[in-house]
Amino acid sequence: MSAYKDKDPRIHGIKTKIRVVPNFPKPGIMFQDITTLLLDPQAFRDTIDLFVERYKGKNISVVAGIEARGFIFGPPIALAIGAKFVPLRKPKKLPGEVISEEYVLEYGRDCLQMHVGAVEPGDRALVVDDLIATGGTLCAAMNLLERVGAQVVECACVIELPDLKGRERLHGKPLYVLVESH
Amino acid sequence: MLSLQKLASLSAPLSRRIEFRGRTRAPLPRYLGTPETFAAAAAAANDRRRSVAARANRQLSLSSGMATSFEHSNGVRKGAKAVRDQHMASEGGQDSRLTKIASSIRVIPDFPKPGIMFQDITTLLLNPEAFKDSIDLFVERYREKNISVVAGIEARGFIFGPPIALAIGAKFVPMRKPNKLPGEVISEEYSLEYGTDKMEMHVGAVQPGDRALIVDDLIATGGTLCAAIKLLERVGAEVVECACAIELPELKGRDRLGDKPLFVLISSDI
Repeated sequence: MSAYKDKDPRIHGIKTKIRVVPNFPKPGIMFQDITTLLLDPQAFRDTIDLFVERYKGKNISVVAGIEARGFIFGPPIALAIGAKFVPLRKPKKLPGEVISEEYVLEYGRDCLQMHVGAVEPGDRALVVDDLIATGGTLCAAMNLLERVGAQVVECACVIELPDLKGRERLHGKPLYVLVESH
Repeated sequence: MLSLQKLASLSAPLSRRIEFRGRTRAPLPRYLGTPETFAAAAAAANDRRRSVAARANRQLSLSSGMATSFEHSNGVRKGAKAVRDQHMASEGGQDSRLTKIASSIRVIPDFPKPGIMFQDITTLLLNPEAFKDSIDLFVERYREKNISVVAGIEARGFIFGPPIALAIGAKFVPMRKPNKLPGEVISEEYSLEYGTDKMEMHVGAVQPGDRALIVDDLIATGGTLCAAIKLLERVGAEVVECACAIELPELKGRDRLGDKPLFVLISSDI
């Protein structure tokens, strides 16, 4: 579901603040740059507010943010709804004991890690990232959370690239995004 | 909520040494689990190691101006009392917030390599009240200082910086490792223990005259913060202050910031 379709007046302001950078990280990719959104305090605040309004009453106990841009949006949401924040990181960044989930990239594989003990059975989790493309990273994140017994309530992203069909890779879990980009 | 003036008077010369963890050069088992179990494990570990090596002191500091209060003279340290949170008398709300924050931070020995006692803030983030308190302490300090930009250093500066920026109405600028930012960047090289690294910022994100706050989770040698200061000054911003949750004063990072003030919540000797 996209708030864009709901025509909240704040969405337009958010969408226009996102900068598209062609041919990054490689030719043919139109990169959705959220750093320009962060330069507009009102638009950044609106972004967070839209998520908070949606999740405030849903008894979310943990917000998991995917390194690194998920660290920008996740913590403000977690703080506003009173949930703990758990960073999901690339290998070898987290200092304590971790569990790992491997996932497939276009070429090769990557790995997402979470601290043991950060999330507990029964935790109701929200997964946050700036953007969903193929859904591989979000899928790995959900797997990590479910492996420790948490319930993934929803995935939340600022931007969706619907042509890449990431939504279908989420094991039927709902996805909430603010803007779509084709 | 305390005004800034009251904060300053409370902190001059507020100095409290709290022992949270034992210190040893020998390899320690990794602490596992949640903060609740960690506190118990830490207490047990302390009991075992009391006779062995120097004690760790963790100090709660509110103001960078109080640097002299926390310096140790020639390694002589006053004996630290072991204090548990629940017995600590608080002077107003400030101390209890800092105590909660300090006790939420987990120390992981020998990460990323032997001999390093890694200050893990992820356990702080698992405590919503303590995390909120840490942000509030920064926001209270900076809300009236006309900060127009908060620069956060990848990646843990991305956790603390944006909530501060949102609360004080400033823009947020990520300072990143090379090749992460998609647009045109300016780069600043800085020294590591072995070799160099580079920090980048988007061209146009920061304007001449912007009043900047730099945020990271921890200051060690100050090399990263120093690179961030340079990047901001190169584009004409004024760096008002650097803000970190934790300082490792023995590494003298504060001295590397030149004339730029540093504000930290917690000062840790380990």
